[in-house]
Amino acid sequence: MKQYFNVIFRLAYVLTKRFFRDKVAMFFTLVFPLIFLFVFGSLFGKDRGAKFDLAIINQSQSAFTQKFITDLKKSDFITEKPVTSLDDAKEKMGRGEVDTILLLPPQFGQQSGDNQPPGGQAIVYYDPGNAQTGQTFASILSGILGGVNEQITGQKPLFTVTQQSTGKEGLSSFDYIFSGMLGFTLLSLGFFGLTNSLPSMKKEGVLRRLRSTPIRTSQFILGNALNYLAIGITAITIMFIVGITVFKFNMQGDYPSFIALVIMGTILMFGFGLAIAGWAKNENQAAPLANLVAFPMMFLSGTFFPRFLMPQWLQNAAGLLPLSPIIDGFRFIFTENKTLFDLGPQLLIIGVWTVVIYVLAFRLFRWE
Amino acid sequence: MAEIILKVDKLKKRYGNKAVVKGISFDVKKGEIFGILGPNGAGKTTTLEMIETMRPIDSGQVLLDGIDVTKKPEKIKGLIGVQLQSSAFWDKLNLTELLRFFGSIYGEHTHPMTLLKEVQLTDKAKSHINTLSGGQKQRFSIASALVNQPKVLFLDEPTTGLDPQARRNLWDLIKTIKNKGITVIITTHYMEEAEVLCDRVAIMDNGKIIALESPKTLVKQLLSRGFKKTRHVEQANLEDVFIDLTGKDLRD
Repeated sequence: MKQYFNVIFRLAYVLTKRFFRDKVAMFFTLVFPLIFLFVFGSLFGKDRGAKFDLAIINQSQSAFTQKFITDLKKSDFITEKPVTSLDDAKEKMGRGEVDTILLLPPQFGQQSGDNQPPGGQAIVYYDPGNAQTGQTFASILSGILGGVNEQITGQKPLFTVTQQSTGKEGLSSFDYIFSGMLGFTLLSLGFFGLTNSLPSMKKEGVLRRLRSTPIRTSQFILGNALNYLAIGITAITIMFIVGITVFKFNMQGDYPSFIALVIMGTILMFGFGLAIAGWAKNENQAAPLANLVAFPMMFLSGTFFPRFLMPQWLQNAAGLLPLSPIIDGFRFIFTENKTLFDLGPQLLIIGVWTVVIYVLAFRLFRWE
Repeated sequence: MAEIILKVDKLKKRYGNKAVVKGISFDVKKGEIFGILGPNGAGKTTTLEMIETMRPIDSGQVLLDGIDVTKKPEKIKGLIGVQLQSSAFWDKLNLTELLRFFGSIYGEHTHPMTLLKEVQLTDKAKSHINTLSGGQKQRFSIASALVNQPKVLFLDEPTTGLDPQARRNLWDLIKTIKNKGITVIITTHYMEEAEVLCDRVAIMDNGKIIALESPKTLVKQLLSRGFKKTRHVEQANLEDVFIDLTGKDLRD
């Protein structure tokens, strides 16, 4: 019995050693997901809220206008883009460098009489292809000017709106997409690691040589699983460190639950690679089949965009896919402070799939 | 009478409707080098693979060291060392690491350097398999088949594709292995090799054994039937010239 497990550990050890000497394999399993992380992290990760690249063209000399612009620049929802003229600003808008142009005409902020309050009309230009941004900025600006009116006239408005965030403290949108990225890492590791390497080992005769020794199929499979577990934990750790340091990921939940879910997820995803690679006689069978199963799962399980964007019937079906409960589980732990004990439905789906896929993998495995 | 280590009885194998091995029987004595000769497609490799438990047996029985190979394949695998015709080793691991891993499968604590010394590869201990020459690969393959101190070593065409120097070097290695008391079963296409190495040979053709004797006896039997070579017998041949000119030193 001790010898049985010893062989598994020794196999996992040499396989892991091989992995860390294989630059191509390391790139695809460790660096490739990081590239996705950087792309998606930069796209959705920053908490932009409504932030505008604004060009300000001021034609007014009034003291009010000067103060108004200074205050506007201080607010954190705009970034001022320097422009020389209205035409220059319009050109930059065409290139997408500027979202909106704020034109303050000469009359803006001028007093119509000595004892009259200042007034005027600001003009907001926006790109017709980006109308929403222009309208949003215009309404924000109206809000600000409304406040100014109120201060000057001293009339309190009758109806007001106050804002309250529903997210837990300090959650950014990156914290939500991060679980999908981790799911993607586990999926690509499980599906594309062994399906690349095992069929070529069959073809070259490496497996034939192994089969002439007393090693058992179960030892071979478990040794490989252990190897992928080691790689999976390494990959997730790297993602996690980059997530925290670069994207200021805010881990809310319970680390032991998270680690346990990583282990379960890696084992489940590896089962798919194992079933495909173990069955396939060569790469020509393994690679297309791996893609065929992995890609729909990748998009339906919410790796790159959340499942709630799908129609309800599709959401329900996609929720039963093996990757979905892993990603959901990560998200619950990250953002809702849940532990493994709260994840009953997810664990049930993971458990059922694990049993199904490993029974299949053991049945289908071929040495040659 | 020497002890019998391998007993093959009416062994049969067919692929589809083609009989590849047609009920062959032979015994191998402990400590001998036993050759299986025959043209391509004679059934040599299939026979070996059935004995090695790598291929299911259709009918007949194989007893290795008294154990039925179909009943206890795991145990048989522990008793034998196998050098397969088309097998390979992992890249990105050095020879020492590979030998240590193969040893661990048998639960043996291996001494990679001792094994590598036996096959003259000590200076390659930290090299990867893809940097080795053909002869070195074969020698390493044999070293890996010796990690479990097998009772029987199977060599399937070990010298095919090697240059004359590497071939002679491998013959010396096989003789050393025999001198350690390990029984060697070897297949080959080279009659000269069989004459130099084998204590007895079985000649297979079309799935049957058509002769089984020591090489000397087989030659005597042929001569006694009145066989004469039509050509004048030279005292040396081209291979002798080649070895004389290029020397016996190994070139890899």
